[in-house]
Amino acid sequence: MSSQSSISLVNFLPESNRLERIWKLAQTDFKKRYFNTKLGVLWALINPIFRLTVYLFVFSYLGGFNSENFGLYIFSALILWMSFSETTIRSINTLKQKRYLLENIQFNIVDLFISNTISVLLGFLFNLLAYMIVALIMGISFSVSLLWLPILLLILAFINMGVSMILASINIYIKDIHHLWDMMLFAGFWTIPSIFPLENFTGVLQYLIYLNPLGGILINFRNIALYNLPIDFYFLGHCLLYAIALFLIGLLLIKRHWQNALERF
Amino acid sequence: MSTELVIEVNNLSKTFKKENHRVDSLRSFILNRKKNTTDSGKELKALRNINFEIKKGETFGIIGRNGSGKSTLIHLIIGCMKPDKGGYVKTKGKILRLALGLGMDPNLTARDNIYINGSVLGLSFKEIGQRFDDILDYAGLQEFVDTPIKNFSKGMQARLKFSIAMYAKADIFLLDEFFGGVGDEEFKLKSNDAFNKSIVDQKTIVIISHNKQIIKKHCDRVLWIDKGSIKMLGPSEDVLKAYQESFIKLSATT
Repeated sequence: MSSQSSISLVNFLPESNRLERIWKLAQTDFKKRYFNTKLGVLWALINPIFRLTVYLFVFSYLGGFNSENFGLYIFSALILWMSFSETTIRSINTLKQKRYLLENIQFNIVDLFISNTISVLLGFLFNLLAYMIVALIMGISFSVSLLWLPILLLILAFINMGVSMILASINIYIKDIHHLWDMMLFAGFWTIPSIFPLENFTGVLQYLIYLNPLGGILINFRNIALYNLPIDFYFLGHCLLYAIALFLIGLLLIKRHWQNALERF
Repeated sequence: MSTELVIEVNNLSKTFKKENHRVDSLRSFILNRKKNTTDSGKELKALRNINFEIKKGETFGIIGRNGSGKSTLIHLIIGCMKPDKGGYVKTKGKILRLALGLGMDPNLTARDNIYINGSVLGLSFKEIGQRFDDILDYAGLQEFVDTPIKNFSKGMQARLKFSIAMYAKADIFLLDEFFGGVGDEEFKLKSNDAFNKSIVDQKTIVIISHNKQIIKKHCDRVLWIDKGSIKMLGPSEDVLKAYQESFIKLSATT
């Protein structure tokens, strides 16, 4: 529809209110998730810390598995992976949940996914803060390479958005995608060095890391926020390529298919 | 009224597939593959070759029985559904549909809903802030500003929506069975009044209703759709008369 595309072009201009709107949607989403509960935004923290405790118990205590700063090592993987799984799981059904908007107002469909991603990222920032505080207490030192962190997070956001749009598009036609995605998320966590060290991924196993879009982000996150190492450009390029490809595919799919959603729900 | 067209509907058709076994799960996807059935199921033509135009500033009525295709037509105009190939809808300006109980997130407060709706309708947060009290005043909901909408009555929700619409920058209003149910008598008068004043000014209004009185009162032209096709399009008097007669015929034959 030609008129619609011209509207969305205008909306990208700086003087438009599009950014405000995306922010408001993300904010209300965040509020809905946490503010009606007793512990509020603490839940964003409790969940990963609980998981961390379980993993530490299983691997350190029961498994006798240990390395320096093992807790931070696992926590970094947990918070990155949880932001990915939370965004994508929440987005699968977003066309249905935001139907009230789509049916009544001409709306830029991509804004829904941007706001979902931002909303989850807000919770992630709490986790990141917790990580940084603990890291400082543990005497981890940071260098200038920590300045790469915002770029890593931006790449993460685009991966989250891209996968979200792809899943939401598939969900229009195949309703049981969320079961399948649940399993993928469960398996995906182990294809990157989330708990086992990078050195264990040798031979054919190293391809598992490449298969996972978050592999490069996790490795680089630890480089700059745990090991005080420079950024690894090879892995940075790897996750950047994933981000671009996934985002473009997602954009194409959702733009082409979202209008079929309403008659199928 | 200018001659500028704000809604252009050209050769619009919409077919729904009423498949008996619709492929919407992996299981049916795989099973249907195996059988290789070309079971397309039944097709439902919700709209057939609809053509009409609405000019800027016009008050246009759409009338028809339940299931005649009115809602499908609205969805196509808003653009949240795709028409069949060969037809199109062109619209100019921001469209807002007002329908009872729709368009707002029930879990959000009146405040958040005002901001989200207002924003989608083209207002900046600054502008919404300036109009915020007016919007609440007009709807008579000052005390409930931080109450989730789900606790509102239907009438309160409708009042809030109408009020947002009044102050928003939408160019085209689709009033989808919106009247008749809106709030109390006082608010009915108020909203009627609004019609004659600010809202009508330069704005295009499409009223979808089976209530002939409302259509008669406000609309310049009326489109009557029946079983997905245009039955009649013309000045409201004529169309409403014919519509009325069709009911008499119907009751005579049954």
